[in-house]
Amino acid sequence: MSDVLIQIVASGLTVGAMYAVSTIGLSLVYGSLGMLNMAHGAVLTFGGYIAYYIITTLGLSPLVGAPAAVLVGAALGLAIYVVAALPLLRTRAFETSVFIATIGIGAVLENLMLKLFGAYPLPQPLAAPGGIIVGRVHIPAQNILILVVSLALMALVAVLLQRTRIGRAVRATAQNREAAQLMGVRVGHVYALVLAMSGALAAVSGIMVSSLTTLSPTMGADPMLKAFIVCVVAGLGNIYGAVVSALLLGLLEAIAQYVVGVRFGFATLLILVIVVLIWRPYGLFGRRQVVRL
Amino acid sequence: MSAASRRDLVVGLLLLAVAVAIPFVLTTRYIVTQATLFFIWAIVVTQWNLVLGVGGIFSLAQMALFACGAYAAALLGYYLQVPLWLGIPLAGLVTVLVSMLVGLACLRLRGPYVALLTLAIAQVIYIYIINDTDCFTNPPSGCMPLFGGVRGITKFGELGFRDLFGTKFYVANYYLTLFILLLATLFSIVIIRGPMGLAFQALRDNPGYALSRGISRFKYQLWLFALSAFFTGLAGAVYAANFRAVGPDVFSITLLLFLLSMIVVGGLGTIWGPLLGAAALMLVDEGMKEFSDYRNIGLGVILAAFVILLPQGLVGALAALWRRRRSRA
Repeated sequence: MSDVLIQIVASGLTVGAMYAVSTIGLSLVYGSLGMLNMAHGAVLTFGGYIAYYIITTLGLSPLVGAPAAVLVGAALGLAIYVVAALPLLRTRAFETSVFIATIGIGAVLENLMLKLFGAYPLPQPLAAPGGIIVGRVHIPAQNILILVVSLALMALVAVLLQRTRIGRAVRATAQNREAAQLMGVRVGHVYALVLAMSGALAAVSGIMVSSLTTLSPTMGADPMLKAFIVCVVAGLGNIYGAVVSALLLGLLEAIAQYVVGVRFGFATLLILVIVVLIWRPYGLFGRRQVVRL
Repeated sequence: MSAASRRDLVVGLLLLAVAVAIPFVLTTRYIVTQATLFFIWAIVVTQWNLVLGVGGIFSLAQMALFACGAYAAALLGYYLQVPLWLGIPLAGLVTVLVSMLVGLACLRLRGPYVALLTLAIAQVIYIYIINDTDCFTNPPSGCMPLFGGVRGITKFGELGFRDLFGTKFYVANYYLTLFILLLATLFSIVIIRGPMGLAFQALRDNPGYALSRGISRFKYQLWLFALSAFFTGLAGAVYAANFRAVGPDVFSITLLLFLLSMIVVGGLGTIWGPLLGAAALMLVDEGMKEFSDYRNIGLGVILAAFVILLPQGLVGALAALWRRRRSRA
């Protein structure tokens, strides 16, 4: 029994940490721009493919591949800002339009990858070999690496947001765009930075997700859907709530997979989420927003 | 009758006349069946436009509701031998019930939450259908899961057009679908020009005043969501009857993207925009048949470009052009 427990906790935490990394980016963007980035999954997949291309096809070191993937992810995030968010920012129905526009951008990216790399699943070369034994359970080193990298990244984002000048600008913009602008915050720069960061985080999470499964052009859809769910459960835009919810949901999914079978793990999770939302429409950690009419 | 209503009447009658004439003029089977498919998508799109463009409900569950209608008609026919003529309206009613459940769960939430939750619900249904491999019955053709699994459902009865019209049965399908599209379009005009459209306009223009006058957003959104689901479900059932098969492919993201593009290209929230957009995209799609590898890239570019550069859609652009010419004259 305790072996099963260790197994569930180990896989739940790994998966949860992975969700957390892809969710932070999404949540950061929603929190500061009020923009739901539907191209997030495609950026995530792109990161995974860039790492594959540099390491396997070009034969370069993973120490080149991983940072390059992160840079490309950031560049894609920036491109989404310039192409979609910037021209739509002043329009009346920003939320609706940017949502639809990013669905289109996501479709373009996804099918571009399909053209470039083919539909055949590819292995992610960036993986750590070996593992450790806890009790009688084998835990792959890759899982531990993912957990450590995720925690480090989350700490980095937290420090950036809480301790730096630019982090303060991001938080100020998220709280009130006009007030921040009046205080001399360059809101445009903040938005660009946030989308670039979100792209970089998505790339990292793409490498991690593909190292546990395989690379395929549609691989990003599943982590993006889960990141959305985490966001919704936590309350959109609430980053710390997102981290807690991601870990919780990872564990819950692992338990559900053990109890009702792998096939229905995700479905069970979703039903739970729907119940949570009916009970608390603004998410577990979201505060009820008072709308001034 | 106001000028706007009179214009709608004229446009509608013209379009109807053209549609009625098509099978007589262009007798090729391919054209007639493609036009039938266009009518089915047009029904879905006019109702989705009501939900998204008029009611401001960010629903991504429209294809799930469509699938609900298709599966309801097929399941009723397959397991209970309900004839399709009865099954199609029943499927519409079943879809209304399902949409009310979805609406009760989703509509108290705000914009993006609704989008995420409806997408999640659609995904749950899809994942359930393709992952269910337990045999519900064991017909001679092999194991049959409750919802048909990945293979979908076939052999659930017919409309009987083959016996009546022989090889011309597809023309009968054409007119049946056209009739439902006519009803769906009338419904959308009634909603947009009627009290419900007015209520939503009030909620958009001055939510504070509207709320204080007792206009409940939740109540109106739920009504709109449920009523429009009837036609979406009918469209699904007719789709099933037309192709004599239903499968989980109706949940595909590509199809969702295709239909969403129709609304955006035509003009969100307008009466004729979705129809124009559906026609435009079906034609573009037909033209891109040779480059089918690039179909989705093209669709994505069209969707993003229209939202960013021409947010009012084709109808909005035409109206602006018309106004400019008039003011110059």
